[in-house]
Amino acid sequence: MSEKMVELELLNPRGLIESQPALVPAHRVGDLAGKRVGLYWNSKPGLDNFYTVFEELLKERYPTATTNLLRGAFEIRDDDVDAWVKEIDTFVYAVGD
Amino acid sequence: MAGTVKLEKLGKPGVFINCDTFDEDAKSASMDNAMPAVRRCKISSAEFYKLRGSVETIRPLVESVFDDLIDALTAPLTPDEENPPGQKVEEDEPAEITVTGESYLEAAEEFNRVFLDNRWGDGLPMVPPTPERVRWMLSGTSRSPQEAIGKVNPKQGVATIEKIAINAVMAGARPEYFPVIIAAMEALTDKDYDDLHILASAGSFTLLIVVGGPIAKEIKMESGIGFLGHGWRPNNTIGRAVRLATLNIGQTWPAKNDMALTGRISPHTFYTFAENADLSPWEPYHASKGFKAGDSCVTVATTYGFGPIQNFYGGMIGTWTAKEILDNMVNDLIRRDRRSLFMWGSKGVGPVLGSGGGAHNHMIVLFPELAAELKKMGFDQESLKQEVYQRAAVQYEELNPEDTKGIQGGIELGVVPADRKAVFQAALKPGGMVPVLISPDNLHFFVAGGAPGCAFSFSYYRIPPYNRIAILTRPVNGATLTKAGSL
Repeated sequence: MSEKMVELELLNPRGLIESQPALVPAHRVGDLAGKRVGLYWNSKPGLDNFYTVFEELLKERYPTATTNLLRGAFEIRDDDVDAWVKEIDTFVYAVGD
Repeated sequence: MAGTVKLEKLGKPGVFINCDTFDEDAKSASMDNAMPAVRRCKISSAEFYKLRGSVETIRPLVESVFDDLIDALTAPLTPDEENPPGQKVEEDEPAEITVTGESYLEAAEEFNRVFLDNRWGDGLPMVPPTPERVRWMLSGTSRSPQEAIGKVNPKQGVATIEKIAINAVMAGARPEYFPVIIAAMEALTDKDYDDLHILASAGSFTLLIVVGGPIAKEIKMESGIGFLGHGWRPNNTIGRAVRLATLNIGQTWPAKNDMALTGRISPHTFYTFAENADLSPWEPYHASKGFKAGDSCVTVATTYGFGPIQNFYGGMIGTWTAKEILDNMVNDLIRRDRRSLFMWGSKGVGPVLGSGGGAHNHMIVLFPELAAELKKMGFDQESLKQEVYQRAAVQYEELNPEDTKGIQGGIELGVVPADRKAVFQAALKPGGMVPVLISPDNLHFFVAGGAPGCAFSFSYYRIPPYNRIAILTRPVNGATLTKAGSL
């Protein structure tokens, strides 16, 4: 560095993020035939229409699959989770964002 | 995203649908929730928001992603998904950064370029956080630089006194302001405060920071004419320090994981001001929150991004009386809050019953002359709360069936707290007057401004979407350069 150069030593303003192990997603169902497919939405308009079409297409391809639509909070509540997980095998989750 | 991860952790395989505008936000949120390999299906924002209005219009979009959704639910996890990378930690980043230039001006310009390129700034020029300047900032507090006061969403960055000091330097604050900045950050990082909604939501919510007690005057905060405006280094840099500290410690960036669609009003400094202790006839706000009137405290409150705000008038154009302004205030509360009575019967949008959308908190700023007139009428803040609450009510016969059903639902669900049920049960009868607010405690009065001044309000949900509270007062302590806040 030239003698004329000005050097500024600066401290990093970013917050420490504590390391946490990455979780692995659940294993997939393989085939949707006969499966119970949960459809979660957070009440934002339009997702009901989206899921109506999705259910139609699902029934066409997997006539024995069933759907379980749950309308709830921005993020699913614990009390809803407890009941819902017993009623579904797999799920689609949409929040309109 | 948190909900998707919650279900995956319970063994249910799923797919999260997000619009492409929110793709980076969703990816970031999957990291924040420790499951980076969550399966996501991206749909076009341009199409979804335009076409979602009916089954027929949305059909082509659903058809276009249907196979992807099925694959996401059925195709086995890939090796990469089975072995996802761990979360990036700060140790991966340098603790110090060196910039150079042929002059101080050039080096300072280079500092601003590097920090903004890294998304470590707020778009305005900043003061270089050199170790000397950070030590200078830390001289304003007796607290240890290593003390962690809490974590900032969305990435749960640890807010230490030193990290806050670095950001306070960048904001241009002075050391005597620093204890106030720490107190504001303590409120925001409280385990019950919903900082996520204000820092990341697509709604352009923003923050109110109100300083009360003797430290405000000691550090020369402005609380007279222009108190919410520019030109006041304490007000402006205290707010800016909180802005930079939340941005850098929580690690947010506009259009990446801070999705405020129109940005946040007053984005660089938030709404930061002091109560006008010289002219107020009343005790400061924090005295109503269990603190001594002579304490110095900071209150932070989330507010809607549009506004401020409802103007109840005063000022220098029209004539006014305290009674007229009180009437304006009451009528405004009735007009706005009765529209959401039907929502009281909803569980709400978050983990706490009644969160979002239903009842409100109102942070109401009164100008000193008005407060003086109200005092002549016999009011202090507490009796004013009771007066406004009782008058902000609708005759039972004027409610429509949805309103009544909403309130009754709120009572049954517990959205209306147990200690308030009797009020509404008594009111929901012929001849009853039904309050549009759940409790007088949802009214918060601050005295600020000069002569002449204006009265207006900020408003927000009584209960926020992602946590329990959205207004909190914390005491200033550890100050070394002021008499106030030194304990």
